[in-house]
Amino acid sequence: MINENTDPITFEVVRNGLDSLVDEMAITVMRTAYSGVVRDALDYSTAFCAADGQVIAQGLTIMLHLGSFPAAINSLLTKFEGRINVGDVFILNDPYTSGGMHLPDVYIIKPVFADKSLHGFVGVVAHQADMGGLVPGSNSTESVEIYQEGLRIPTLKLYDAGIPNEAIFDFIETNVRLPVQVRGDMRSQLAACDIGERAILDLITHYGAENLNGYYDALLDYSEQRARSEISALPDGVFEFEDFIDAENLEDGPVRIAVKLEIRGDEIFVDLDGSSPQVPAGINAPVPFTYAAVYGAIRLIMDPDIPNAAGYHRPIHISVPEGTVVNPVHPAPVAARGITGFRTMDAVLGALAQAIPDRVPADGEGGNTLISIGGQRTDGSQYALVDFFGGARGGGPTSDGAEGVSHPASNLANSPVEIMEVENPVVVDDYELIQDSGGAGKFRGAQSYVKQITNLGDAATLQLRSDKRKFPPYGLQGGSTGSPSLNILNPGADETLLPTLAQVRLERGGVIRHEMAGGGGWGDPLTRDPTAVLEDVLDGRVSINSAKTEYGVVISEPQNRLDQGATDLLRSTMLQQRESSNS
Amino acid sequence: MNSAKPRASLQLRVGADIGGTFTDLVFLRSDGQYSVRKVSTTMDDFSKGIVDGLTAFLSDEELTPDFVSEIVHGTTIATNAILENKGVRTALVTTKGFRDVLEFRRLRFPDLFSLDYTPPKPLVPRRRRFGVDERMMHDGSIRRPLDETSLDCVLNDLEEAKPDAIAICLLHSYANPDHEQRVTEAVRDRFPDIYVSASIDVLPEIREYERTSTTVINSYIGPIVDSYLKSMRLRLDSENVRVPISIMQSNGGVMSYAAARRTPSRIIESGPAAGVVEAHQLSKRLGLKDVITFDMGGTTAKASLIEDGERNLTTEHEVGAGIQLSSRLVKGRGHALKLPVIDIAEVGAGGGSIVRIDPGGALRVGPESAGADPGPACYRQGGTDATVTDANVVLGYINPTAIAGGTVDVDLEAAREALDRSAAKQLGIDTTDAAYGVYAVANTTMIRAIKSVTTFRGRDPRDFTLMAFGGSGPVHAALIARSLGIRQIIVPGSPGVFSALGLLEALPEYGFSRTLIADPAQVSADVIIDAFDQLESSSLERLKDEALNEAITGSWSRTADLRYRGQAYELTVTADTGPNDDLLGMIVERFHQEHERTYGRRASDEPVDLITIRSTYRIDAERIVPESVNIPQEQQQPRQAYFGREQGWMLTPVITREELTRSFRSGPLIVEEYDSTTLIPPGTDARIDEQGNITMINTDLDANRD
Repeated sequence: MINENTDPITFEVVRNGLDSLVDEMAITVMRTAYSGVVRDALDYSTAFCAADGQVIAQGLTIMLHLGSFPAAINSLLTKFEGRINVGDVFILNDPYTSGGMHLPDVYIIKPVFADKSLHGFVGVVAHQADMGGLVPGSNSTESVEIYQEGLRIPTLKLYDAGIPNEAIFDFIETNVRLPVQVRGDMRSQLAACDIGERAILDLITHYGAENLNGYYDALLDYSEQRARSEISALPDGVFEFEDFIDAENLEDGPVRIAVKLEIRGDEIFVDLDGSSPQVPAGINAPVPFTYAAVYGAIRLIMDPDIPNAAGYHRPIHISVPEGTVVNPVHPAPVAARGITGFRTMDAVLGALAQAIPDRVPADGEGGNTLISIGGQRTDGSQYALVDFFGGARGGGPTSDGAEGVSHPASNLANSPVEIMEVENPVVVDDYELIQDSGGAGKFRGAQSYVKQITNLGDAATLQLRSDKRKFPPYGLQGGSTGSPSLNILNPGADETLLPTLAQVRLERGGVIRHEMAGGGGWGDPLTRDPTAVLEDVLDGRVSINSAKTEYGVVISEPQNRLDQGATDLLRSTMLQQRESSNS
Repeated sequence: MNSAKPRASLQLRVGADIGGTFTDLVFLRSDGQYSVRKVSTTMDDFSKGIVDGLTAFLSDEELTPDFVSEIVHGTTIATNAILENKGVRTALVTTKGFRDVLEFRRLRFPDLFSLDYTPPKPLVPRRRRFGVDERMMHDGSIRRPLDETSLDCVLNDLEEAKPDAIAICLLHSYANPDHEQRVTEAVRDRFPDIYVSASIDVLPEIREYERTSTTVINSYIGPIVDSYLKSMRLRLDSENVRVPISIMQSNGGVMSYAAARRTPSRIIESGPAAGVVEAHQLSKRLGLKDVITFDMGGTTAKASLIEDGERNLTTEHEVGAGIQLSSRLVKGRGHALKLPVIDIAEVGAGGGSIVRIDPGGALRVGPESAGADPGPACYRQGGTDATVTDANVVLGYINPTAIAGGTVDVDLEAAREALDRSAAKQLGIDTTDAAYGVYAVANTTMIRAIKSVTTFRGRDPRDFTLMAFGGSGPVHAALIARSLGIRQIIVPGSPGVFSALGLLEALPEYGFSRTLIADPAQVSADVIIDAFDQLESSSLERLKDEALNEAITGSWSRTADLRYRGQAYELTVTADTGPNDDLLGMIVERFHQEHERTYGRRASDEPVDLITIRSTYRIDAERIVPESVNIPQEQQQPRQAYFGREQGWMLTPVITREELTRSFRSGPLIVEEYDSTTLIPPGTDARIDEQGNITMINTDLDANRD
């Protein structure tokens, strides 16, 4: 039974109503947003929170926003205690004063009142196209403190009892490179909040505010109970894993993410102690974001049907030491913290893979690579191209890693090449899978792909955020690692290999070529079904040579037929060699 | 039209709607009378069932084949070929360096919390995707000329790949078709017997994945649809039925046999479209401009919008995506089809939807369905899970002994037992409360479908009339409408053959489009008008080939897709103007208005971009209005029906449709007929109109209507 004071039918009806309202808010944002990051990476989410800030429903479009609302709402509850009125709308983005995640992520939150008492909050956090700072898009990896990263917005009233505070709009528009887009996106956030508010008021009319509060509690308890029953089915134990961010531009070398994960009964304890100290580069992840990454990884091994109510966080206990790259203190820069969120999620999954090896796949491409090119068109107007590369998942216990499917942390979409070329002075010349890039395995990692972009305009600023070169995607259960990522400037005789995090000038005619890391393999490649290897060869995913050396599968040319006898022989020879080298 | 012909009054138009189990045939006479035949669907060759049913009808009625004037056909053959991976062996030619666009899709995945998500297999495997060396730019300029040597290589590769169909889609071909045309000619020359489609013919619009995917779909199903239609033609010819065959398109118009063979991608959602078309026609006759259509069957419920007298179309459809909510947040489950499709939201709630208690103790209904086989527990055809239909039987809404004119037995006890087992016991409530709970939860799921075409788009459902059809729709309609604040509900006559009638009421229309990116503030109106004129004249040439004879006349209507600069989605507005109108000013203003209506805001000071122009040719045709037929029903005794805790069990009269009067009668009432049951709960009044439709009014909304 869900809760003694609630009736199961009304519970389901209210739950459907809440899901529907946060989705409706999310659709409004997606379809009206201007920012490429919002419309293509779905880098935003919508939520309804109870009066105490607990998330009751979240219109989730990106995993890395799980649990990102409470900190923001707590900041406004603290700062404006007793001064929250009908018609107010709050805005914030600052991680150090106000519960934000990084400066481009702007929260707009509207309180909802039942008569005159505060009933809850509807809110939208969306990644704005620009918030000022060092580079267009405000995602520099080169800043050494947050002051360089753009406009910091503490928790403020954007509307005071229904009256817009024009000063805030003015300040923002003056400080960003793309004021039209930013204003448009703020408007779309406001529109979504209005829609959410209306839907909550409808529910209040139908069910009464007090009664609804009972159902919110029931929803929290329900999600908690579902999470606990899933966790108790996992084996108890302590599981450790570490992963690294290349961060070649840092003196102290790779950045370590250390995870100690303990499953005890129906609870999980995650400790990130041992992770690197915060760094003088914009990859520090403010703690709400780190929490989201941990929740996200655990969420991935649970029944997808559990609602996004904060109750399911209750049995998950996270400990993150201050002053680390996963819980930085002021004024550490945080603009490109996405990479750290990805790595944290991958590391937690690596720990979970030891607890439940039959349920967790090998490592993927490590989350999206971000390429931004910003400059001036010939007519003097500014442009900021933001392109995402992602989609090479690791092989799993039952299937090959999916190709062209984004990392689970961030459900991004690509920008159509044709649209990208209409909107920006660039041309894309190569956009294809890379043969043999996926790690071999019983279920192999996804082949990665390449994208090559040429600048047709005046010299521009190129900002690259990538990873997984020194530490390519790991394999599991005997699978091989995937191929490392590469950033090549002006490929050809005079090509330069750029670091994984880079900010350089891209001349007119300059070319940037990014090869994404390939997914890790799962299981022993010598146990892969030879016909699956043959299929890969026929599709040009795996070369005949790799079929032989990695998988022990002999394909006879030129007819491309599987030679079963030669394969059996080769595989047994390879197994013997492996045994003798082990002994 | 020509009264001299004595036979004119006796002509028959035949609608054939293929379903999973039955094929509905409707024979509409020129005087509006119609007859219905249900024949078993012949899975191995659908045309056999249709033609056999038709000839049997003709012989029963002692009519000769020349009484038939046209056959209009709704078919799922195209969709099924994709769902079941049974299309033909297809190859794809792209710009070199871009052959994996089809496979990368948009990278996005629909299952947010799944670690082992596998995307749908591309319809063309990588080994049959070939790149040709060339490159167009978005402004139509040539970056790299077409390399003839590379084209020769591709032709050789194609030869070796032995495809049964070929799709061709080069980058930016919508802006300059020269290279794609050259490649297409070369391919057609070399492979004259292979089905070939080029993106410039199928969908000359920007966005390479969507254009490629749509073109590939066209080729993948092309030969299947082609041979199906040919076989139907041959069968009909052999029975001396030498009349035109028309096919229902996904956008609600019908198209000729020849046009369907060329662009079969336009008939993908042929089936669901017909019901909306019929609802649209009926709305016009009733003088209703704003209607929500609600079609609830065994597995799913579908909602669509008729607004300001027009059907709503979408170009964001995915084929093979399973149940899809319109404008769903996250796409990627199916194959993108960017052609206009009637915008239908679908949810997994139907009469057969299965009831269960989830691990957290909440009552859930669907999306799993017992379907027609094994069916609801109360039919005793092997089903043991409780379903929505079982709940409706327990509540007294559906006849507890037999339905469908006594042809299907109903077992009330089996329904009660199933509900006890599936829900009531775990929840610790009695059977009746559990049944009412199932009814209420199913309603909330269906409400979501309706919301996704209304409130999700800035439309207030209270401004609409609900039109309910399909086997289960009329049982749920009144209370769903009440929850949404909808006052008026229409249940049309013959709800069971509603879709087949839609086939016969649909008008021939042919849509064409072209991407034309322009800044309305900079470009001259003449450029846009010329582009429309050109699109129409070249399209008319093509239509003459495949659809029209000299005698047929029609007219063009124009629309345009616009967006605020930087947005990812366009909105479509009408571009029809008078000769002295300011075309650009008008479409921009209409776009601002549409944006405000849909999303609640406009930005008059922001730049707007025109992206695509569309022209639709509608052929002048007269349509006979079908007159509803009544199948006599037996008198029924009143029975107890349950209406929630407040009202409890009420003795409810069970009547036939004819027993409803022109003046309103208050619920509770149940109208039982051959293929449907209409529930009129307390607080709702009902009457019948001259055309045989049931009108319900939720009178209890009147008190607190604002």
